[in-house]
Amino acid sequence: MSARILVALRMKAAPERVFDAFVGEIGAWWRPNPLFSFTPRSPGALSFEGQGEGARLVERLASGKVFEIGRVRVWARGERLVFGWRQAAFAADMDTEVEVRFEAVGEETRVTVEHRGWETVPAGHVARHGFPDQVFLLRHGQWWTGLLEGLAEHLR
Amino acid sequence: MSLDSTLAALAEPHRRRTVELLADGPRRAGELAEALGLSPPAMSRHLRALREARLVEESHPPFDARVRVYALRPEPMAELKAWAAAAETLWSDQLLALKAHVEAETGGT
Repeated sequence: MSARILVALRMKAAPERVFDAFVGEIGAWWRPNPLFSFTPRSPGALSFEGQGEGARLVERLASGKVFEIGRVRVWARGERLVFGWRQAAFAADMDTEVEVRFEAVGEETRVTVEHRGWETVPAGHVARHGFPDQVFLLRHGQWWTGLLEGLAEHLR
Repeated sequence: MSLDSTLAALAEPHRRRTVELLADGPRRAGELAEALGLSPPAMSRHLRALREARLVEESHPPFDARVRVYALRPEPMAELKAWAAAAETLWSDQLLALKAHVEAETGGT
């Protein structure tokens, strides 16, 4: 186990189409999750503003306020999308990153999401945000990660 | 629980090694001291730091109340698993939603 989340799913559409839907229609398919809400006033409507590197993923709240979740760092249509992911409760020195890969598998596309950087969460963030403290021990580096894997085996 | 105390507890190599040893199962302080090449007082200090950080707990075997056995606490693992499961659920849900969205228009064929 690490501070990196990896999830994949296949869908019946071409990689370019899935990519376009991901960035162009996120407001239509995104499902708000209370555990990972961006601001105290969330949920709002998500959208990517602009195209290419430097585009912004934002959440537009009912109040009209706009919260910037992150900027696009890699925009390779039909292949790869990388963007920053911040929640309002994050401290200034905290940054997580989402990488989405789109791979053709026959007639379908395998979409893989990797969400990394949770180990950058500073200690003071925990109480406000409700993540377990132990997650932030991952800041302690790979040693702890490896140890936890050992513990997981041990406690199973 | 104070994260700082946990980090401090794990910042010390002997204490990290102690936690690794306890991952294999509970041990007595004497066994730990021997394995680490530490004097009993030094071992006691490290165990106290680990106890205060709530990484280990001590118990007494029923047959001998004078002996202290140290074991890792399982909660940190359980909480970490719960968090990781929540984050995985977040993205699984989003990908299922995206799949439903893109397949709706193609008729899912």
